[in-house]
Amino acid sequence: MFNELAQPVKIGLQKSVQILWLLVKIITPVSCVIVVMDYFNIMEAIASFSAPVMALTGLPGEAAIALALGFFLNIYAAIGAINALPLGTQEITILAVILGISHELPIETAICRHTGLRAPISFFLRLAAALTAGIFLNHIIFKFMGV
Amino acid sequence: MKELLQILLEEGIIKSLLGIAQITLILVPVLIGIELARHFNILEKISAKAQPLLRLLTLPKEAAFPLIVGLGFGIVYGAALIIDYAREGSLNKRDLVLIGIFLSICHAVVEDTIIFVALGANPLILILTRFLMAFIFTRLAAVFIDLRYKKERLHPQKNHAK
Repeated sequence: MFNELAQPVKIGLQKSVQILWLLVKIITPVSCVIVVMDYFNIMEAIASFSAPVMALTGLPGEAAIALALGFFLNIYAAIGAINALPLGTQEITILAVILGISHELPIETAICRHTGLRAPISFFLRLAAALTAGIFLNHIIFKFMGV
Repeated sequence: MKELLQILLEEGIIKSLLGIAQITLILVPVLIGIELARHFNILEKISAKAQPLLRLLTLPKEAAFPLIVGLGFGIVYGAALIIDYAREGSLNKRDLVLIGIFLSICHAVVEDTIIFVALGANPLILILTRFLMAFIFTRLAAVFIDLRYKKERLHPQKNHAK
């Protein structure tokens, strides 16, 4: 029994170390860049530029950076940006849903091509699903929950 | 400059390391759990019970395993299985594309969800919304594909009748 459990536990631990090292490698530098951008008021410019679209999902303009990082790189890079933003539970949940649906698009659309789903279609379907989910949560679910 | 370095250390490095520590606490047991599930073929047992979901998605029962694997372990594993199935010919083109759409929107639900929950997201809303979106978009695509297929089939038949 013990021997049979040891192997999967070992693989799980190895994967954890790999992912955690990846997290450190990606999240820390991204956070630092965001902090510097914030210091020089670059974040403010990006935020006011993207605020109208972001408002549909109830997210502040600054969150656009996290979305862009998540869409084109991966969830971990987005977390680097989220760490540097002051967000409440509702905002983090909406951001998480959008990023959960739509992340790492260049790589994952390439993987999905093997199912016969063309990359541009998968790309736009995921963006559409993410935006729909964000609007749905902001205007219906969270209103309904009275948060 | 000194002020910037201090903010960089506090807000950039220390805060992100704390965030990663928080993720670690949840991620490690979950990853071990996923490996145990793989080792004991638990997903094979779950996919045997996925018939109602498949019926709603208008997919055949062969679609269960790649779908459940993609949902649990991630899109890379799911896609690898799908490629196998496509080679064996046990799933047709329509079913493969539909599985692709479902999984591209909703995959690796355990790992992705855990990471965001560590940051304070609501896990129930997170999983349900992703699942709902995957379901709606897959179903819409199924209707669209079936309509087009029907048209293609009906057109030559019309000519035959006359």
